Amino acid sequence: MDISLAIQLMVQGILLGGIYGLIAVGLSLIFGVMGVINFAHGQMMVLGMYISYWILVLVGLDPYLSLVLVAVVTAMLGYVIQATVVNRILDFPEAMQVVPLVSIGLIIENCILFMWGPDHRSPNTALGLESIHFGDVMIDASRLMAFVLAILITGLIFWFLRNNNIGKSMRAAADNRIGALVVGINVDRINNYAFALGAATTGAAGALLIPLIPVSPHLGHDFTLTAFVVVILGGMGNLVGALVGGLILGVAESMSTLWLPPTLKHVVSFSLLVLIMLFKPKGLFGGK
Amino acid sequence: MSKQKKIRTGKGIHRREFIKNSAIVGTGLMLPFGVPTLLRAAPRKIKIGSIQPVTGPLAVIGQGQRKANIMAAKQINAAGGIKSLGGAHLELLLGDSESKPEVGRQEADRLIKEGAVALQGPFQSGTAMAIATLAEQRQVPFVMDVAALDAITQKGYHYSFRVFITARGLVGGAINFLKQVVDMKGVAPKTAVVTNTADPFGKGMSGGFLKGLEKSGMPIKILERIQYPLGIQDLSGEVAKIKSLKPDLIFPVSRPGDSVILTRELYKQRVPLMGIYCPGSPGWYEPHVVKDLDKLILYVLVNVPWINPLSTVYQHANAAFKKEFNQTLDTNSAYAYTGTLVVADALERAGSVQADDIVAALKQTNFKDHPVLGGPIQFAENGDNKGASTGLLQIQPDPVPEKRVRVVLPKNFAQSQEIVFPWPQLWER
Amino acid sequence: MKRLYVLLAFILLILLVLPMFLEKYTLGIFIMIFYYAYLGQSWNILTGYTGHISLGHALYIGIGAYTSTYLAITFGLTPWVGMIAGGLVAVAVALFKGFLGFRFGLRGVYFVILTIAFAEITRLIVSHIEALGSFSGIFLDFNPSFWNFQFRGNKPYYYISLGMMVASVGVVRVLELSRIGRFMVAIREDEEAAQAVGVNSFKYSMIALSISAFMTALAGTFYANYIFYLHPNSVFGMGLSIELILRPIIGGMGTALGPIVGSFILTPLSEMSRAYFSKGGMEGLHLVLYGVLAIIVVLFMRKGILTYLAAGLNKIIRFKS
Repeated sequence: MDISLAIQLMVQGILLGGIYGLIAVGLSLIFGVMGVINFAHGQMMVLGMYISYWILVLVGLDPYLSLVLVAVVTAMLGYVIQATVVNRILDFPEAMQVVPLVSIGLIIENCILFMWGPDHRSPNTALGLESIHFGDVMIDASRLMAFVLAILITGLIFWFLRNNNIGKSMRAAADNRIGALVVGINVDRINNYAFALGAATTGAAGALLIPLIPVSPHLGHDFTLTAFVVVILGGMGNLVGALVGGLILGVAESMSTLWLPPTLKHVVSFSLLVLIMLFKPKGLFGGK
Repeated sequence: MSKQKKIRTGKGIHRREFIKNSAIVGTGLMLPFGVPTLLRAAPRKIKIGSIQPVTGPLAVIGQGQRKANIMAAKQINAAGGIKSLGGAHLELLLGDSESKPEVGRQEADRLIKEGAVALQGPFQSGTAMAIATLAEQRQVPFVMDVAALDAITQKGYHYSFRVFITARGLVGGAINFLKQVVDMKGVAPKTAVVTNTADPFGKGMSGGFLKGLEKSGMPIKILERIQYPLGIQDLSGEVAKIKSLKPDLIFPVSRPGDSVILTRELYKQRVPLMGIYCPGSPGWYEPHVVKDLDKLILYVLVNVPWINPLSTVYQHANAAFKKEFNQTLDTNSAYAYTGTLVVADALERAGSVQADDIVAALKQTNFKDHPVLGGPIQFAENGDNKGASTGLLQIQPDPVPEKRVRVVLPKNFAQSQEIVFPWPQLWER
Repeated sequence: MKRLYVLLAFILLILLVLPMFLEKYTLGIFIMIFYYAYLGQSWNILTGYTGHISLGHALYIGIGAYTSTYLAITFGLTPWVGMIAGGLVAVAVALFKGFLGFRFGLRGVYFVILTIAFAEITRLIVSHIEALGSFSGIFLDFNPSFWNFQFRGNKPYYYISLGMMVASVGVVRVLELSRIGRFMVAIREDEEAAQAVGVNSFKYSMIALSISAFMTALAGTFYANYIFYLHPNSVFGMGLSIELILRPIIGGMGTALGPIVGSFILTPLSEMSRAYFSKGGMEGLHLVLYGVLAIIVVLFMRKGILTYLAAGLNKIIRFKS
């Protein structure tokens, strides 16, 4: 086995894993606070990718800079979706919540198709072809940047949940919904904010990804599933678990290319998913 | 099939008789105004279905194909249409295969329903296979302008014809030119990696090339064959593998999308090579690829059916294409252009729009006035073009991007006498 | 009730006679309506009646399609028999999946995710098996004959798919009236309560899953010999899994006619959308509509459009008489 190849793959895995973690944190947050599994999570991320692509093409603003704007837009969309649809299905049995959310994903995906067409879009960004070399190992500048920002954003979210009032209320609602109601927390409003925040993180992840991979309307499913794997791996509702799970998955997928064709990467993640669901449904770090 | 029956026994004859009668009456009424008015009054329309991958991973090529079909039809109509059918004009019905075989098949079915008497297209081998099957089912002639997969013409289908070269032909040309280059430059590459898109063309072509290389006795060892799905967006894992294998050459069978991603990744990961030699596939000479990759695509060698730079037909067609669409007529669009000409030529000789007459006329094709390298277009028993051949190109530096793609072999068609091999490394340019 | 049967018989009669008046292309639209209705009905048995939501049902379509096609190409086996083989393979996979799911207590969303994972893993693995065409898929040769399950015109495909659709309604109706059916509904309504009164939920869930998988696989064989092209993404894909559940959901899950009504409403929309909007990527518009309809139905019309339609029709019929 080629050591430098292995190291290269591991590095690439960690960098991508950071982004997986960010996407998964959003999903886990939504589940933790509301008990809803957002089947449209991947499509929201793809929307984030398209918005930052659009901003780049129209105004020339680099995705790393338009990140905040993208997050705000996806947050607003998330808020609307939660207030109109998700709110009404909170008391449905878990499985019945699937259909409306899958439908939302379907709607988002096909609106994207309508607006931007089916072709892949790959903008040329400033860092696009830059790379840093440590001996035999090459680090993609865009990937490194995305990783750093992903970790920063995740850290920001943790801080928010710990120190901000709204964030604290979210944690309260996540821990004990009835209790939260009892102490006067407006759970409906918290739900709206939580969903918006979850959408914002996944939208931001999209902005980080657009310099790395070309976007097309049907990318959503793959990322939704990947997010599921990470969240189940780390434990539903466990945010730290989501981040660590993301890193683990990123490395596992990347290293698997030593033995498997890279196009079989996802078989590794999905098989992992099945195994965890069967034998450790609470995830590696414990969840709900 | 029922449509054609109708023309023979139902509405069709009535329409013809009506025209005949009105012509007689009209002549009487209009003689004072001159015969030209009469002739302009009733050109029939012959519908031909053009199915190209106008959207999807092959969109940029597909759009060029469609434009070439349209231009060819316009030129034929301007020159008087199909004279043996009373100056009837060609009407192109447009279909989009979306670069997917099942969609191509549905579109072909739709165009047949809308009255297409012949089909052409679809650039992509998989889609061609699907349409050829449908054409056989519906008994409608199908002329492939670009599609190389051997299997399509090995099914015993009667209604399909191929203007383009076959994968086997491509392989023969590739090995032939590779030998010449290696001999000329006195350089001996020892190892190589083959990459291909895992679609029917990619697999058929690369498989054929591997076999051909083995039979040729050239001392190049193939270290690995890397396959990836059409439309892939990330080749970093594949390129990392290539780098660890340390090949002298890469033989890619690709599409414009993955060729760009592959080359950029080779640059980013600093993979040392003697060069890239494409045995025959898209992705290394299309105008938008040459522009996108800029310095990175220089010195790539490509064996591919190409336009004939010395042909006046090409020069006129290219000038017209540039004027109308602001685009160079490259090999793919030149073949699309030729495809329409071949269909029109067959209609002219058939003097009828019945499928079997068109098929009989196609079998007799001996078309010389085409813009591409190779002999006159003549179809063998299975529908393949006996006259098809290839040229070796190299992308060489030139201030004008269009002039960078140059024929270097065969010598008598060469636009550049110089061949650069091995190439300067991607990151040292 | 009798009036309903008369109405249905009348509609069936019209459907039987239609091919004499319609041309190939329009027949093709009906074929798709019947095909999706049949798929939705097969799914309905597992989800509508037994309550286990599957978002990976395309798995069985792919299994049916690839099995019968592989057997036909390699051994010259007629797809009529290959179809059954495909069904059996599907049942085997379903039993495995069901065992993992039900024995390990995967319920609700976890079961849904399991179904998705199975479909996706299979899709990826088949994409790498050369004998099954890997990424390029399989192109079926055109050799029309009854034993090859291939026909020149669309009429035979029309009658076969119509037959499959009608048979599926029959199967569901028989289940509805049988003990098995009642147990299935009991599981759907409240699994724990059902177990408490002695219903072996594992056994009946497996039965429902097997019937559903078998039926779905048959549709795969039909598809392969109608489209002449198989690709892992198109027969195992999530897009297909999602599309096939929309018709029964909107038409009415857990009813014998719901998927049929749903397909008659939705399928023409998708065909129109493709024919009129396909220039420039608008071909997904019908899916937006489907999504909106599905949300409306799940939020406000839980029992599906059929129930409301039937109620409305009842009013009209009563009014008329």
